[in-house]
Amino acid sequence: MSLVIESKKLKRTGYLAAFLAGGFLAAAFPVVYMMVKADEVTMLSGNPIDILMSANWQIMAMLNILVSICGACMMYYAEYADNGIQKMSVLPIRQGNMFLGKFTIAALVLSAMVVIETAVLVGCGEYWFSNYRFDLAEVLKIAGFQIFVTLPTVMLMLVIASACRNMWVSLGIGVILVFTLSILPQDNAVLSLFPFASPYQMLPAAIESGRTVLFLVVCGIETALFGVAEVIYLKVQRCFE
Amino acid sequence: MNIIETQNLTKIYGNFTAVSKLNLHIRKGSVYGFLGPNGAGKSTTMKMFLGLTNPTAGNFHIDGKTYPANRVSILKEIGSFIESPAFYGNLTGEENLDIIRKILGLHKSCVDEALQLVGLTEFRKRLAKKYSLGMKQRLGLAGALIGKPPILILDEPTNGLDPVGIHEIRTLIRSLPQRYDCTVLVSSHLLSEVELMADDIGILNHGRLLFEGTLDDLKKSAQAAGFPTDNLEDTFLAMIDEDNHKRGSAI
Ligand SMILES: Nc1ncnc2c1ncn2[C@@H]1O[C@H](COP(=O)(O)OP(=O)(O)OP(=O)(O)O)[C@@H](O)[C@H]1O
Ligand SMILES: [Mg+2]
Repeated sequence: MSLVIESKKLKRTGYLAAFLAGGFLAAAFPVVYMMVKADEVTMLSGNPIDILMSANWQIMAMLNILVSICGACMMYYAEYADNGIQKMSVLPIRQGNMFLGKFTIAALVLSAMVVIETAVLVGCGEYWFSNYRFDLAEVLKIAGFQIFVTLPTVMLMLVIASACRNMWVSLGIGVILVFTLSILPQDNAVLSLFPFASPYQMLPAAIESGRTVLFLVVCGIETALFGVAEVIYLKVQRCFE
Repeated sequence: MNIIETQNLTKIYGNFTAVSKLNLHIRKGSVYGFLGPNGAGKSTTMKMFLGLTNPTAGNFHIDGKTYPANRVSILKEIGSFIESPAFYGNLTGEENLDIIRKILGLHKSCVDEALQLVGLTEFRKRLAKKYSLGMKQRLGLAGALIGKPPILILDEPTNGLDPVGIHEIRTLIRSLPQRYDCTVLVSSHLLSEVELMADDIGILNHGRLLFEGTLDDLKKSAQAAGFPTDNLEDTFLAMIDEDNHKRGSAI
């Protein structure tokens, strides 16, 4: 119900265009990379998907984060630009449900992007690596893991966007967070669990270091925590307006 | 019977008291005119009724329900329009109303009805951000009237309308209690305007209620207090002026 309403509100906001542009860029990157570097890369030993991911995932994850930031800003720009959100808050609905609807849409868009990206990686494997064997279970596990570790970022960005009336402020905060956390060392176990850093983690590497479960549990907790923070924020907000 | 009642309703921003110990009594099926100069606290009071801001002290009942325990069920009964119109600029007038209709769980035909009521049918396919000021105002009104809620809270609904529009909307508001059996709380700066619409009047100045009652009561009490009564606008101005003097000497 709130999913239908929330998606209607996104009409003509450029949300779909941003997602398509981001998805296209992310999909094009490994293809271009392989076209240039195929000779070197195919010489490496190991699982083709692992090789492809370690070569490309940094950029693809960053694109996923940037699309999530833009998406969150667009969603709340539509609410704040002509004060539609005020009308919503005097209608008999729970504000938390509205937020949940927005999160669901953002998570679905993210999932679509990751699925496209893994599909392109599989395509590259098939095309360039003679030793590649397609394994659906493996691909699904990778896609699921990459979606899951990006969810805290999606949730936190929506919380930020909902708190800032001015879209440029939330966009600025998002971009600053992207750069701060991408500069910090990636191999630090604690730092890599932060939102805006966790999306760069890759399933093959996580399996190798035995941190898969840790990542899934911590990211799940973070996502839930930010969601609860938003609900509390929505309640407290009324005291200050 | 009072459908809305407040007990010492107070709102304080920092160290500024916007609404002070308000005791309002709004009768079911009446049009209640809420009157006061800029900054009197009219919008703030209405925002508290709608749960947009929490009261600092005091409480209110709407149709026997209290805030914040019954927030959602209070909002089910109220159609509202606060300050400037609130809408989605990226959607057409019709799409805007359709979202409200879906949330309220009304029949599809309600959208056309509401558009008809405020005279926007012709422009229903135009983006709301491309509407003129008056058209935005009308869209806001349509959003309040859709589904014929039993209580309407309208904050300066005639703001920005042309003379024909003002007349239309006033007539509409005046006719609502008979047509839809609803109660209307409408705010304005002009006593002359409220006079044409309202059964009861509440006059607010600097967050305090100066007067509450019918028009006749107002005339009587003004006479008793020695205010001019031949022109009601003068009565209103004199009351506000005297209150401001009293406040001035109190400080
Ligand atoms: N969020 C806020 N923070 C601080 N002060 C506020 C806030 N909202 C309103 N006020 C103050 O409360 C007072 C009452 O404001 P309100 O908007 O209720 O007046 P009003 O009667 O609706 O006036 P108008 O006729 O101009 O619409 C004003 O002095 C205003 O500056
Ligand atoms: Mg006002």
